[in-house]
Amino acid sequence: MNKIFYIVTAFLWINLYPLQAQSRKGNVLIKNATVLTITNGVQEETDILVENGVIEKVGKGLSAPANITVVDAAGKFVMPGIIDAHSHVGLEVVNEPTSPITAEVWMGDVVDPFDVGIYRALAGGVTISNAMHGSANAIGGKNITLKHRYGTSNPEDLFMKEAPRTIKFALGENPTRVHGRAHGIQPRSRMGVEAVIRNGFNEAIQYKKSWETYNKAAKQKNSTAVPPAYSLRLQTLADILDGKFIIHCHSYRADEINMLINVCKDFNIKNIVFSHVNEGFKVAPELAEYTMGASVFADWWAYKFEVYYSTAYNAAILSKNGVVTSINSDSGELIRHLFHEAGKTQRYGGLSDEEALALITINPAKQLGIADKVGSIEEGKQGDLVIFENHPLSVYAIPQMTFVDGIKYFDIKEDENDQRIKVSATEMVETVYLKEDDHKCMHGVEMFTETGNFFSTH
Amino acid sequence: MKLNSNIFLFLLSLLPFLSYGQIEGEVVKPRGGKFLLQHATIVTVTEDTIENGSVLITDGKIEKVGSNISDANATVIDCSGLFIYPGMIDAGNRLGLVEVNSVAETQDYAEVGNVTPNMQALTAINPNAVAIPVTRVSGVTTSLAVPSGGTFPGTAALINLNGYTPDQMYTGFKGVVMNFPSSAKSSTWDRRSEEDIKKDAEKAMKTINDIWEKATTYHQLSTAKAELQYYPEMKQLAKVISGELSLLIEVNAASDIEMAIKWLENKKINAILTGVSEGWRVADKIAAASLPVITGPVLSIPNRKSDRYDAAYTNPSKMLKAGIKVALRTNDAENVRNLPFNAGFAAAYGMGKEEALKAVTIIPAEILGVEDHLGSIEVGKSATLFVSDGDPFETKTKIKHVFIDGYQVPMSNRHIRLYQEFLERSPGLEK
Amino acid sequence: MSVFKGHNLFMQMMAWMCSLFSLTVLAQSDPTGEKRVTGTYAITNATVFTSPGHSVTQATIVIKNGLIEDLGKNIKIPIEAREINGDSLFVYAGFIDVAGNAGVGKPATPERPNDFDPSDPPHEIVGITPYREVLDDFDAEGEEIADWRKEGFTLAQLVPKGDGMMPGKTAIAVYGQKGSSNIIAASAGFSSKFDAIRGMYPGTTLGIMAKWRDLYKNAELSAEHQILFASNSGIIRPEKNKVLESFFPVIDKEVPVIFEVSDELETRRALALQREMGFNLVLTGVSEGTSLISTIKEANVQVVLSLILPKDKASKKEIEDASSETTARLDRVKEAYKNSLKLASQFEKEDVAFAFGTQSAKSEDFMKNMRLMIENGLSEEGALAALTINAAKILNMDKITGSIEKGKLANLVITTDSLFKKGSQIKHVFADGYLFDYEDTDKQKEEKDEDDPVSGSWDYAAETPEGSSAGMMTLKKKPDGYQGTITFDDPEGGGKKTNEMKNIEWSGNTLKFDFDVDVKGMHISVTVSGDISGEEYEGKLSIPDFGSFPFRATKTPDSNHNI
Repeated sequence: MNKIFYIVTAFLWINLYPLQAQSRKGNVLIKNATVLTITNGVQEETDILVENGVIEKVGKGLSAPANITVVDAAGKFVMPGIIDAHSHVGLEVVNEPTSPITAEVWMGDVVDPFDVGIYRALAGGVTISNAMHGSANAIGGKNITLKHRYGTSNPEDLFMKEAPRTIKFALGENPTRVHGRAHGIQPRSRMGVEAVIRNGFNEAIQYKKSWETYNKAAKQKNSTAVPPAYSLRLQTLADILDGKFIIHCHSYRADEINMLINVCKDFNIKNIVFSHVNEGFKVAPELAEYTMGASVFADWWAYKFEVYYSTAYNAAILSKNGVVTSINSDSGELIRHLFHEAGKTQRYGGLSDEEALALITINPAKQLGIADKVGSIEEGKQGDLVIFENHPLSVYAIPQMTFVDGIKYFDIKEDENDQRIKVSATEMVETVYLKEDDHKCMHGVEMFTETGNFFSTH
Repeated sequence: MKLNSNIFLFLLSLLPFLSYGQIEGEVVKPRGGKFLLQHATIVTVTEDTIENGSVLITDGKIEKVGSNISDANATVIDCSGLFIYPGMIDAGNRLGLVEVNSVAETQDYAEVGNVTPNMQALTAINPNAVAIPVTRVSGVTTSLAVPSGGTFPGTAALINLNGYTPDQMYTGFKGVVMNFPSSAKSSTWDRRSEEDIKKDAEKAMKTINDIWEKATTYHQLSTAKAELQYYPEMKQLAKVISGELSLLIEVNAASDIEMAIKWLENKKINAILTGVSEGWRVADKIAAASLPVITGPVLSIPNRKSDRYDAAYTNPSKMLKAGIKVALRTNDAENVRNLPFNAGFAAAYGMGKEEALKAVTIIPAEILGVEDHLGSIEVGKSATLFVSDGDPFETKTKIKHVFIDGYQVPMSNRHIRLYQEFLERSPGLEK
Repeated sequence: MSVFKGHNLFMQMMAWMCSLFSLTVLAQSDPTGEKRVTGTYAITNATVFTSPGHSVTQATIVIKNGLIEDLGKNIKIPIEAREINGDSLFVYAGFIDVAGNAGVGKPATPERPNDFDPSDPPHEIVGITPYREVLDDFDAEGEEIADWRKEGFTLAQLVPKGDGMMPGKTAIAVYGQKGSSNIIAASAGFSSKFDAIRGMYPGTTLGIMAKWRDLYKNAELSAEHQILFASNSGIIRPEKNKVLESFFPVIDKEVPVIFEVSDELETRRALALQREMGFNLVLTGVSEGTSLISTIKEANVQVVLSLILPKDKASKKEIEDASSETTARLDRVKEAYKNSLKLASQFEKEDVAFAFGTQSAKSEDFMKNMRLMIENGLSEEGALAALTINAAKILNMDKITGSIEKGKLANLVITTDSLFKKGSQIKHVFADGYLFDYEDTDKQKEEKDEDDPVSGSWDYAAETPEGSSAGMMTLKKKPDGYQGTITFDDPEGGGKKTNEMKNIEWSGNTLKFDFDVDVKGMHISVTVSGDISGEEYEGKLSIPDFGSFPFRATKTPDSNHNI
């Protein structure tokens, strides 16, 4: 029986999924759940109706429209799809580690829809991730916000096209090691990181001006104005200055966070989120006042020197100081249990359920500029939902079903082994990996340094 | 909160859960003596749970367990509404052997050389590692420090997480580590081909067999009182052959586990399989060979891309159900504090709370042969235990007190001190 | 952009031809005895497949001056013609390779300047050399050409072999006689691939995509500038930029971009660039992606499938007491294998014309792979069309080749039986009107086996944790052992370095040697050891305190003779 079953499911994957991906909006009625709305408290024995991918109604005793799938969630918890503001899942390439500024590169070019990590994230209730450039460069690339519509072979099906653009910055050890230590160019120190960023912005101002001058002249009759050289890099930096991007900055130490806050003040940049930000707790008042928030690890520390003076109470301190705080994964492993990472803030700092859940829902949504569309269970928002056995902040929580746009992409009862979309025609012995090293900030970066050592780092 | 008195009040408010919270200028250190923990629910692990019970701690040991215990000389700690558990044992990690992993100067878990069983992890334990107090406030009191590296990287040692010298911390188990030849890739950046991996594994297998033969010869000759040249590597391995030390065999891929089981046939040694991340695939064979297993981390990704997403979560329960003795480990360094959460996931994914609790208390104690003094709340055992306000696997639960070898350890560490300083920073935004 | 009209294909071609012909004027007869007596041939009484699906029996073909002079029944055979009796023979149009490397060498990478900055490397070091002509590195007498001609290939688009994202311009050559230039067109296409030279910008696919957009936009602006300059006074002199100027014919759609892709996602990337910029696109090396066929069709993009098929490991694999899980997984591998074989037939079903390219393929696998595709649904007509008329159309040369018609190039394949039938053998190939006979095919092979297995040039790749590192090793036999050099990626940044091999040992099948690498003042001695089997070398590269990594090398064809 098993063999036939597997063959059948293999075919289903090949044949059904592309169809599903095309009809991307679903309808579903979830009944009798304990609904963790995030923005409107906990609602017991409540129904959620999703039609055409959008939450139409949240209330008691909703009647089912004709032909709709009804899911009985009595005794279960429903929360909005979890959002990861810093991830590298679903990317073929993470870093373009060859220049201190690579604002021109775009992660949308290297999305890998075949990465089974996307499915594993879904199985952990994560419906949206910010697929980011790595941390090799002071200014990395443009990121892409993904909706985990797993099953397609077309990367664009995963793009959350309505999300605003975000761009990766990185401070501290990583960019100084990659460029200063390995290649002997700036930045070699935290001074250099600041200088590189300021240089970039100032050049962008000049660039913008030269184009403005040209465009104005070109409008004149019989203009013979010569167009300036084009630079996708400087154009992107100019767009940052014009507020067209949200900066997501990999950072650890308080001093470097303070530095970038000052740079942003000088260039009148408002849209900035600090990522990892292990020493964010030291500058919580500044983060609250000047930024769109901080996206942190629940408890990672001590794997490198700049995270030695960390505290697992970081998220709690930031939240209590009014910083919009989220918990990110930066890891293909961690992304599978962000609900548990959020739960840790209850041990380390005693956050309430509502505060803890906000860390993985509405707060990352705010940081990605999509809080009007996702991040809570409200009528009119997208139908991204997770059904849990046990409260999601409990260590015993088990995601049961995950919906994106009202379409079910994960169901613990139906899903079997081998969720790969693409299979190699020659891989006879399946590779066994002992450790997950992919999907991290420094993925793909030369780590062959003076000491001849490899680093495991983030 | 600009007034000092307010800060003081605020600090007081922390005291209920940081009962040992640090007050400015106070020196916080572990405290020995006689303690009476009263009115608690005592989860003994090996016996029935006792409601409204007491534990009397004297001279580092559990002197009494039961109801209606009193002692006029003991410091009484009211545990109404609270629970007492035996300290949790992480059966494999690098805690104390490394401070900051990217700083090579602080890595003391690996030596140069392929055959270095004589390297002693205990020697390199830093009792003042910042991560030790960070770990023990979670109720993890005991940790197996494991060296890594070559085929025989060294000798692991079990330590309790309180003490000023490694000797004070040592708590009764040492075992020689063997990295069994692996047909798996060490990580996703290991680009060796199938054939190369196979060749490497075959070569490593040959090394192991050669070395083992030498060690056997060394053992036979030294038992016969022959005068042998100084050969510390073989001397250490001979202790495994004689049964004095256990052999911790790190092995993960299913086919490697089968090979290891085969290799162990007719070898009368105390072998423990560690890692065993694909144990679920060959659980019957491990059970048939009666080999105990130390597995983890539970929170890890599956070994194969085609594996079900929860393969690592369900591995401990599948092995347990096949009849294997399963203990858990984090294999971590700075985040050994996550052991209870690893146990929680194993519990949720089929192991059940009771068995998961055993997998971090009495089972590792039995596997490591220290069940005479660790792993449960029993009279005569070491007073290595903790008091919590609920299920210790739940993140919401607060750990109230931790006792290690009868010492009440401070419920503070650098993470907590930073919290205390920065929750309401002074000056705040404006100076 | 009329300013470039003068640079059309024909002019460039003529310039090339002229320069080459001038070199071959010799006031000599042929003392070697190699010259043919007559260039006129008549194949008589043969079954001629003039185009896929159309055949004439008992027909005669007359070849003269490199062209098909006449064709049909009852044709007068010129008196100077050498006759080939075509009774029981089958004649097809010569095959066309739309993306091949036969005879193409790899240009040397220039040394890095002292002030090398990996974030802004010179174009020629980072593989942005679209101005290069593949013909500069083309050897019309290369052994691979003979190998492919033996399989029926008579004409090819030559794709440059250089590293990097834009290695140069393609050219079109006929696989004719030695001594002739054999070049039909230079600057036929703009070659590109997702090949980054690591350690310098652009070092990954991310950078390549951005660089493509940046260069294209700047090329458009540069063109605009040149037009302004040409027709106005008071304009700043445009800076000559040979990289940007190479884009001009692409922007004007005079030549296509020949984009080599290795998988489905790369295909999508090339299509994305095409969509954004609108250039004419020929995808080459396509080996997967059935779901993309409709997109390709809509985009009106030309497709060149790879001739490489995956090795059939799956259906041969036998596993003792396999679990249902293992069986299920292997079934998926088999399915994937089947799908690879079916790809060509899928394109045919969707009515998308495609051709084939030989890049990286092995000539000895050619017919076997064609038959596999046919067994998996590709029609014989479709297969023949892909090898002939479709290919000619993609190259915009269907007026002169691709079928057997009067006036077309005399490129023919003559077989003993129906082309794709098992047992059918190629007996003659006409290329450029020259006749090549194939009788005893095993002799050459034997000679080759007697050659020294070590001497020669080897392309190697070492897989290190941070990516693969490639280079060349060259070994030479000396009375007292071997001497050799090895090139490798400079660990201090991009570019190649060359060092002497040391302690070269050769015994049994094992070749071992050391070489030194200097990194930041550190002196590392690297050891390579492995076994040679035929043209393959497999072993490992060991760095002290660092580990061992797989190391593989392949002997470059013809390398024995070049030393």
